[in-house]
Amino acid sequence: MSLGALVGNRSFLTLLFGVLLLLPAVANQYTLFVGNLMLIYIILALGLNILVGFAGLLAFANAAIYGIGAYGTALLQVHLGWSFWIAAPVGAVLAMVIGTLLAFPALRLSGIFLALATLAFAQATQWVLWHWQSVTFGAGGFRTPAPNFSWLGLHQDYGIYFVTWVVTVLLLMFTWRIMRSRIGRAFVAMRDGEIAAQSLGIDLLVYKAMAFALSSFYAGVAGALYSGLLGYMSPEGFDLFQMIIQKAMIVVGGLGSVVGSVLGASLLVYIMEFLREFKSTQEIVFGVLLVAFMVFQPHGLVVFMKRWLPGWEEPMHVSDQIAAKLPGPGAVLDGAVSGRKASAEQT
Amino acid sequence: MLMFSYLMATGITTGAFYALVALGIVIVYKSTEVVNLAHGELFMVGGMLAYTLYVMLGVPYLPSLLLAVAGSFVVGILTERVAYRSVLKHGLASVLVATIGVSFILKGIARYIWGGKGDYLSFPPLVSPEPLQFGNIMIMSQQLVVLSAAVVVMIGLAIFFRRTRAGKWMQATASNPKAAQLCGLRIDRIYMYTFAVGAAVAGAAGVLMAPLTLLYPDVGFVLFIKGLAAAVLGGITSVPGAVVGGLLLGLIEQIAAGYVHSSIQDLVPFLVIMFALTFLPTGLFGVRGLRKI
Repeated sequence: MSLGALVGNRSFLTLLFGVLLLLPAVANQYTLFVGNLMLIYIILALGLNILVGFAGLLAFANAAIYGIGAYGTALLQVHLGWSFWIAAPVGAVLAMVIGTLLAFPALRLSGIFLALATLAFAQATQWVLWHWQSVTFGAGGFRTPAPNFSWLGLHQDYGIYFVTWVVTVLLLMFTWRIMRSRIGRAFVAMRDGEIAAQSLGIDLLVYKAMAFALSSFYAGVAGALYSGLLGYMSPEGFDLFQMIIQKAMIVVGGLGSVVGSVLGASLLVYIMEFLREFKSTQEIVFGVLLVAFMVFQPHGLVVFMKRWLPGWEEPMHVSDQIAAKLPGPGAVLDGAVSGRKASAEQT
Repeated sequence: MLMFSYLMATGITTGAFYALVALGIVIVYKSTEVVNLAHGELFMVGGMLAYTLYVMLGVPYLPSLLLAVAGSFVVGILTERVAYRSVLKHGLASVLVATIGVSFILKGIARYIWGGKGDYLSFPPLVSPEPLQFGNIMIMSQQLVVLSAAVVVMIGLAIFFRRTRAGKWMQATASNPKAAQLCGLRIDRIYMYTFAVGAAVAGAAGVLMAPLTLLYPDVGFVLFIKGLAAAVLGGITSVPGAVVGGLLLGLIEQIAAGYVHSSIQDLVPFLVIMFALTFLPTGLFGVRGLRKI
């Protein structure tokens, strides 16, 4: 094993999470908050990448499900007086259940229609958060009780940070393992060709539902941790712009790459926080990032990492041949035979 | 009964407006198979341009309407050239992501130019704000303006697609891009004009609706979802379907608002989209046998 092999994704992850672990020793409150936010967005990006990057299902409901996890956790504490330690797992599972239930009508749809249905779902979730005032307190938002960390022997200020760190590392390891397992390979097979995947004995319905369930669970966990971090909930944090931020993270990092999710999330959280005061600049920057990566490098930053760093492994990353999974008019422009167009022409 | 006829009248006038938004979505989808998620923002840009010309610079209404529509047309061309054209070859999912990126760029620019969150620009009414009385029903006269303008735009589009060469090119590209290319049509350019015509229709809708909805940078998305519901209900590839879908959505909304609860109005598009996509995948006017889902 050459020395160059050490410069790769494993050392990147070790370094990043090492720095994040030691951060509380040196950082002030605000830096710690940003670090915590970074960990939460890493969880979100991992979950979204499972759905969009690995399973190839373009959905826009992740921000809404993140909101359901956060609101679920917070409202169980406020209305029922539950402790954070019971409310958080229940909130995460609630998000997973709703995300999976959403999947069932959505599974009949594919491509652009799945995207549209989930977009409408995201809008409906916003409506519920705004208008079901007796439960969600409406547009004004509400305070949530601070979680108690004394039984873990952690200081109040650092408690949520270390809990988030541990959860993120566990989920990252889980993602890494599961994406290399039978399930992850089935997702990739499904993404690259549904009929081919079916002929290999992959039940599309089961695996699509599983992709939705996994990604909703991640979003729910992230939401639960976010409610513990912020201590304040309002519907605005879970709107379409939130979805764009998460989408930009996985596109910039690399669709279909576990380490790419971490890379994209950790970079873009900085930009997001840097521009927190300027909503319009934030919108323009994230919009430009999305469009620019789609135009110039649709496979994300991990492409450069793979090229430049000798030890960077990307076993499941989307390749160029299969990127045009949904042939659009461009496929016709390129002279390729488009299956979708062809089937439409026959009728 | 009075309430019912009132709801019907309001439903038809708002429905005509949803139909106008849906038409733009359908035009783009028909020839490119892309739903332009920035359609709502193009609508907003059209309204904002008209506001700038009419209110801030004092240009008379008709020229500002035409200029705003032309402006949206140009924005449509720009977005296609800069963002969509090179993404089209990566497939539909990528274009969808690019359109939503564009929608946020437009929204951010609008927020930058025309004020921040919570700043609502009100567009002065074109006609007297007095409601008109028809028998027992009261209708805002601006709604009648929108209704008649929507009818004019629909007729104009029908003439454009039936009678003009450009309209025929677009139809040819939509029905068979490869054959159209073999006949010597430059289909990449036709895609560009398709996006631009869609944007111009969105801009026209924005100018017409501005006196009824206040203008603010976030106005686009809610209306986009409504237009989308109308388009999906009408079978997303059909121009008459978009009109019928829009009117139907307007009526369903008004009935839900009148008989259930007024705030439920905004939940209707979601329910309609889910219902239509799940149980009626070809819509009311869609082509049967065409596998869309």
